[in-house]
Amino acid sequence: MSLARLGAAAILAAACGLPRDPEGTLDRVDHGVMRVGVVHAPPWVVDSAGEVGGVEAQLVLSLARELGARVEWVRAPEARLLESLHDRGVDLVLAGLTADTPWAKKVALTRPYYTDTAAFGAVPGAARPEPREERHVLAAPPGENAWLVRVERALHAREREVPAMLRAAAR
Amino acid sequence: VTVGREFRFPLDKWEARRRTAKLAWASIALLISGAVIIGLALGQSQAMKTAWVSDIVTAVPPATMLFAMRHELRPPSRGFPWGYFRVVSIAFLVTAGVTSVVGVYLLIDSLLKLVHQERPPIGTVVLFGRQLWAGWTMVAALAYSMGVGMLLGRLKKPVAEALHGKEEHAESRMNRAEWLSEGAAIVGVLAVGFGLWWGDAAAAAFISLEIVRDGWDSTKQVVRDLMDESPTVLGEDRLEHLPEKVKRAAEELAWVERAAVRLREQGHVITGDVFVVPRDGALSSGAELVAAIGRAAEELRQEDWRLHGLTVMPVEKLADDSPPRL
Repeated sequence: MSLARLGAAAILAAACGLPRDPEGTLDRVDHGVMRVGVVHAPPWVVDSAGEVGGVEAQLVLSLARELGARVEWVRAPEARLLESLHDRGVDLVLAGLTADTPWAKKVALTRPYYTDTAAFGAVPGAARPEPREERHVLAAPPGENAWLVRVERALHAREREVPAMLRAAAR
Repeated sequence: VTVGREFRFPLDKWEARRRTAKLAWASIALLISGAVIIGLALGQSQAMKTAWVSDIVTAVPPATMLFAMRHELRPPSRGFPWGYFRVVSIAFLVTAGVTSVVGVYLLIDSLLKLVHQERPPIGTVVLFGRQLWAGWTMVAALAYSMGVGMLLGRLKKPVAEALHGKEEHAESRMNRAEWLSEGAAIVGVLAVGFGLWWGDAAAAAFISLEIVRDGWDSTKQVVRDLMDESPTVLGEDRLEHLPEKVKRAAEELAWVERAAVRLREQGHVITGDVFVVPRDGALSSGAELVAAIGRAAEELRQEDWRLHGLTVMPVEKLADDSPPRL
């Protein structure tokens, strides 16, 4: 009986288009302004001569086109940008972040749009460190789930184009 | 008469016992399957995490129960001349302790999330090539685990009643609390879906409270057990009328003028003392008295299948307040 009621509630909820944003970020960005924090991190984010490019910027620009939104780039140190996500000072942060960032609990990370393996930071004289799996993500304000879902959908739709973007950037 | 006899369950109770063991194994397997499924869907929801932990915590009692059942019927030994019945209470004590500590930890964790206004991000998952909101997979996982809890609770209750097992009864109660928790977690996840970010931590706090209450109830009960409480009605605080029944049976013996009885539960069995005042002139010699006492101990044990070690003690007279009435 209660299960049936629960099922009915779930179907009803599905009809309402879950999830929703507590603070209405998606509604605000839609045909509005998308404030995107960027940190120069090639090839993911390339900030040169006043132009923001790179893989993540391209992905976000195509999302902005879909939403009919104007992108406002916000340049600041990574920690400052991620911090301001908590108060919704920016709507997204692009910084070549990976899923294992220590910020994972403080912000909403998207699901990975690209995974590669890389090894960094060999100690001089020591053996090369084991290559690690790098799952690349964007950061969004925590709890703005309609917005997060919308961003993830856009990323998922363009996942296959990422390797080509990377090759183009390497050239 | 041997000092420290082995206890044998009556045949039908033995059957219930075998079912208990089977159910315990099934519980562990099903609860772990629920935990794995919830674990796969986990994400950053506090309610999910709490439901997941409550799933695991609920698997502890059947595990300790199985351990206790292996040992409680060991024959009395030189080191443990009263037998090993209390192992059931000890197992229960462990469960109660674990449950309480975990519950308090989760409660604090959830309240801190509320205080810090941490908003749970719930994004999307890609399942079979379709991208959908992760909240739906969470709800599905929780619903599965909820079904498991409901089923187990329903299966365990009759067995617990047959065995008059407080521990089994507490376990079936815990299954109920567990599926309630999962229902709360579903509400929490849906609340997040509706943009009520605090719904998640609030549901988690509610679940933790359920866990704490479980732990508290169990602790209370096991402490009373270990304090040699007189047998109580299953699932209630009320005392059973068994001591009065044994007293009446003792006083019906021709050679007994008055009797007083005290009983205690030790796991599944009941032991105790019967003090009797022999009627004047009913027994002519010491040998007759000894024989009568031996027969009485056997006969009185028939009053209830759980009665195991009854000591019958002849006394000259009994005070009016023995056993104490308060």
